[in-house]
Amino acid sequence: MNAPRDDKTIILAEDVEKWFGHFQALKGISTTVGRGEVVVIVGPSGSGKSTFIRTINRLERHDKGRIVVDGIELTDDISNIERIRSEIGMVFQSFNLFPHLTVLDNITLAPRHARRWPKPKAEEKAAQLLDRVGIPEQVGKYPGQLSGGQQQRVAIARALAMEPRIMLFDEPTSALDPEMIKEVLDVMKELAGSGMTMVVITHEIGFAKEVGDRVLFFDGGLLVEEAPPAVFFSEPTTDRAKLFLSQIL
Amino acid sequence: MNGGGALPGDLERGVIAAGEEPVVEVAPRRPPLTPNEWIRRNLFSSWFNGVLTIVSGALVLFIGFRLLRFVFVSADWTVLKANLRVYMVGRFPQEDIWRVWAVAFFLAMLVGVSRGVLLPPSRTRRGAYVRAVVAVVAVGALVYLVESLLVWLLLAIAAALFAGGVAAGRRLGRRLVRPILIAWLLAFPVVVVLLSFGDVGADRWGGMLLNVIVAVAVIALSFPIGILLGLGRRSSLPAVSWFCVGFIELIRGVPLLTLLIFGRFVLILLLPPGLTFAQLVRAILMFTLFSSAYVAEILRGGLQGVPEGQYEAARALGLSTTRTMALVALPQALRSTIPPMIGHFISVFKDTSLLAALSFSDLLFTARRASQSFEFVGHQAEALLPAAFLFWVIAFSISRWSQRVETRLGVGER
Repeated sequence: MNAPRDDKTIILAEDVEKWFGHFQALKGISTTVGRGEVVVIVGPSGSGKSTFIRTINRLERHDKGRIVVDGIELTDDISNIERIRSEIGMVFQSFNLFPHLTVLDNITLAPRHARRWPKPKAEEKAAQLLDRVGIPEQVGKYPGQLSGGQQQRVAIARALAMEPRIMLFDEPTSALDPEMIKEVLDVMKELAGSGMTMVVITHEIGFAKEVGDRVLFFDGGLLVEEAPPAVFFSEPTTDRAKLFLSQIL
Repeated sequence: MNGGGALPGDLERGVIAAGEEPVVEVAPRRPPLTPNEWIRRNLFSSWFNGVLTIVSGALVLFIGFRLLRFVFVSADWTVLKANLRVYMVGRFPQEDIWRVWAVAFFLAMLVGVSRGVLLPPSRTRRGAYVRAVVAVVAVGALVYLVESLLVWLLLAIAAALFAGGVAAGRRLGRRLVRPILIAWLLAFPVVVVLLSFGDVGADRWGGMLLNVIVAVAVIALSFPIGILLGLGRRSSLPAVSWFCVGFIELIRGVPLLTLLIFGRFVLILLLPPGLTFAQLVRAILMFTLFSSAYVAEILRGGLQGVPEGQYEAARALGLSTTRTMALVALPQALRSTIPPMIGHFISVFKDTSLLAALSFSDLLFTARRASQSFEFVGHQAEALLPAAFLFWVIAFSISRWSQRVETRLGVGER
């Protein structure tokens, strides 16, 4: 609970390991994320990047090492976990909106039931957020009636409704048609500009160059390279990063 | 919940593909077929189909003719006419029959309002035909069977309450959803009190009335119990999940009739002395245990259909396991299990005819007794068929209504 608190660092990972059965998905990841920093994670599929950000809000529990989020170490303590999770927003590749609830109810569900906000307060917040992501008119619709881009923007608003200090994005645009990618990236850029701490898995190089403070390159469960985007994309130092970039560029 | 394995990337892609916007293409309209063309295309498209059409057509005509001849010419429905009251209410005392009418009025209104709120008016021509046929058959049968003016008057009041309920439900619409739910929750106690306060014991209930009461009680009790069992089965506490699995598998492995006989003859020996229930309560108890196990299994299927991503999204938002279940998983699972759930409840209703095997004077028992009376020797069919027909009418109506409610609920979701 009272781990030494460094005001600049919001996420600290120390030698994090994770196994799925006999498969080791993370082979000792150590890094830090600063307050307000935008960190972009790239790497081939199966490199452990998704597993890593899922350990940050404990959708996966790490088997070894230490993760400290905003001064709180992640352990098996349940109340601890739920508190940390409500401080961390997460956006998924497949949106994962609740199909039985309207857009409004999707956004207000967690504030009302996990934060115990009164309904008017939660709905006011939802309206503000829908404005912010640019789809205030969709408030009464169901997720199934929206386009992929709109659904992902609702998912971002849903995560923001809990007023998180950190936002995790797990390939937020990979499931979208090309013409919808921009509308989601624009929302994310605006969010980065507002000073939100963000950890983003994406293959959108343009986004990484424009708003990323640092790029982490994962391969085979290892954090292979770590550099500012301008450096990483123009002159990667490792062979694996060169190979990866040659394949996606 | 289980911890979730390696990220199933392919699976997630599958989910997205299913959630994409539906592409609606309007097919070019074909000019309508002339009757001749229609017959040639649908009934005689090949030599073999032609033969099939003729043979099955002849069969339908033959059976239809025999059936109509039986109903209108050769059958003698005196046995039904003489026993109609018993079919409906068994040996319910005549001086207390107003209680049954009060219940009928109450339910007619409640069903009417529910229908008005839940179902849009049917505008299809086929729906109109079906309703016209139903109305003619019902009125025709009543004209033949009911002679008492008082009964006609009471029936008319019930019909008026139903129609009024539908109209009110349509006008007030969604605002009534909550009052209706509360009314349905109160309906069962109200009905039981109406039927039994004072001196009419449950042992005097019979006929259709008994089947309906038992079915409603069993459904009302087994739905929540089944949900608890289904959730308990997924519990991370081994004691809870083993108990639930054990209970469900035990009950599902035993024929219902065996359970009922157990309730009638054996249960009493296992209970501590002094703790006894009425026969009917024990029967309802056994029915409920049986039905709960099936509700739990149906729910399990529904819960399995909720994608892992839903649980992850809820957990990532900081919702507790209990809230994730109650607010995210359960509502989706219940919605997707409406069809099998209704199917199961229809089975429960039909299974109440097993009460006859325990010598409760339910509809089937009453009909059998009428068919065996000396007075009407040779008219077993006329005594038994109406009971079967009544069961079918009720089961079929529930099925049709539930289909339309389901279509209505599904609009715009998923």
